[in-house]
Amino acid sequence: MADRQEVLVGAVAYSANVVPIWEGIRDYFAESSAPMDFVLFSNYERQVEALLAGHIDIAWNTNVAWIRTLRRTGGTAIALATRDTDLVFTTVMVGRAGSGLDGIESLRGKQVALGSRDSGQARILPLHFLHRAGITEADMDLVIFDSDVGKHGDTGRSDLDALRAVVDGDADVAAIGVNTWNSLRAGGDGAVADLAVVWESEPYSHCNFSVLETLPSERTRPWVEHLLAMDWEIPEHRRILELEGLTEWKLPDLEGYRSLTAAMDEQNISDHW
Amino acid sequence: MSFDLTVRLIEAVGATAAGTTVMVPLDGPDEVRTAASWADATGNTVLMVHPDPVEIYRGRIADPIDALSPERRPGHRLWIYTNFHCNLACDYCCVESSPTARRRIIEIDEFAAIIGEAIAADVAELYLTGGEPFMLIDLDERLRVATAARPTTVLTNAMQWHGERRRRLDALPRDNLTFQISLDSATADLHDRHRGAGSFAKAIEGIGVATELGFRIRVAATLGPDAGTTEQELERFFDDLALEPDQRVIRRVARQGSANAGLAVSRASLIPEVCVTADGVWWHPVAAIDPTMKVVDNWAPLRTTIDTIRDEYRTHRIANDVLASSFPCA
Ligand code: SF4
Repeated sequence: MADRQEVLVGAVAYSANVVPIWEGIRDYFAESSAPMDFVLFSNYERQVEALLAGHIDIAWNTNVAWIRTLRRTGGTAIALATRDTDLVFTTVMVGRAGSGLDGIESLRGKQVALGSRDSGQARILPLHFLHRAGITEADMDLVIFDSDVGKHGDTGRSDLDALRAVVDGDADVAAIGVNTWNSLRAGGDGAVADLAVVWESEPYSHCNFSVLETLPSERTRPWVEHLLAMDWEIPEHRRILELEGLTEWKLPDLEGYRSLTAAMDEQNISDHW
Repeated sequence: MSFDLTVRLIEAVGATAAGTTVMVPLDGPDEVRTAASWADATGNTVLMVHPDPVEIYRGRIADPIDALSPERRPGHRLWIYTNFHCNLACDYCCVESSPTARRRIIEIDEFAAIIGEAIAADVAELYLTGGEPFMLIDLDERLRVATAARPTTVLTNAMQWHGERRRRLDALPRDNLTFQISLDSATADLHDRHRGAGSFAKAIEGIGVATELGFRIRVAATLGPDAGTTEQELERFFDDLALEPDQRVIRRVARQGSANAGLAVSRASLIPEVCVTADGVWWHPVAAIDPTMKVVDNWAPLRTTIDTIRDEYRTHRIANDVLASSFPCA
């Protein structure tokens, strides 16, 4: 693959919408000094394997896929860029309004709905935050929704399932990504009238563009420069940015992966699959 | 409960690719409002509210009107049919004008009121047409009102400028006024075939009168299927008249009015040109007697009608774009 001229970016097809998003990004790069193409994978496991095997140059990874990539490369993998929204991602614990639950400590002895086992925001990190507050699995009833395994929570499916459990009275609280919560709040006050935020985590880092250190910087630098030049004020750029859920591409904040790194250690989550 | 609805929206739109649409079942106006505000807040677009479901487009839709050059945006120009009767009875006339046509005259007071509405609606240019506008001996009074307000073009066959009309013509201001004179060919044959014997010579004479009096003119040809090499001959003729490119208009016959052949037009296929007649407001001046092209019966308030026309144009364009993207080549 060394002669390949275009930068080849991998992404996971978590919904049909991924195709137009990446076609838009590819078109944006077409006129640049770093033209790119993209390959879609059905899950993050395949994508990370392809990155490690050199089949793709760049992987658009979730935070979980990034930590695994980092570990599989002995800490040498590089994160190139991220969405502004990835720098301030949070997990939100949502319960029924009027339940009296307030703060993470109040969840001791409660039914806690969690999402897919490979979702940083809906499963791995919430468990970590609960453990940190001194609440172990033995201190609560977990209601598990492994609804989109392989997609690392990208589909939001398990977030919605967990919320549904709260609304239906099958769980006291649901741990969901702030992106899902914001999307629900967009339905107006009525959409969230019966719900209340019990607790929200500190911000942590989410997705990033990951590469192996062997990819020459002459190939990555112009690509990253062009990526960062996407401008919300330019309507064609804004269309893509809005679909991908950001207003600005940023350089990553590796500190923001500390909590997930600790969580994956503590939960013995494999670096393989 | 809007929680359920919002979850349904997230699920349905989440599974939909940008540039395509999804139907989400709804129950009642409250749910329509929730869907609309959710779509707006999440960067999506409610395309259409059907009796039960709402059709949501994934992503924001660029306003099709912004895609038009400013002078083609509906409401930039206002067309006014001052009257429908004409000294000629051309066989392709899109509004079936003739000496015996029902006149439908817009009298001076009403005309001035329309111009007032046009100014309030930010119309940038006025186009007066008919019938033959100069059949109205007091057309000059309307032209003074129009040209004082906006650059004005009058479509004319230039055959009426004699006696009192010529005197009134000469007394008109030259600023802000253009005469668009109909001339279909470089020689009498084709022109007279469609517009009547002797009309070519009179049109040429009219072009001479307007030029001599120092008016700005544009010459416009309407070509049908029998045009042959007329277009090339006309270009040479226009060269001889020393007409600049923006003084030449060559267009095809529309299948409207007396024309039984020509380009088919409809609201879905035609970029609107807002057009006022004594009978109401129409989608386009080329179809000002076609009942399917009538927008409203009254020209006031004009701004509201222009907004209505713009909205309908947006709907047609967006529907066409979505349709085009939903029939991919397999
Ligand atoms: S095309 Fe013009 S000149 Fe001919 S009949 Fe119609 S209005 Fe009169």
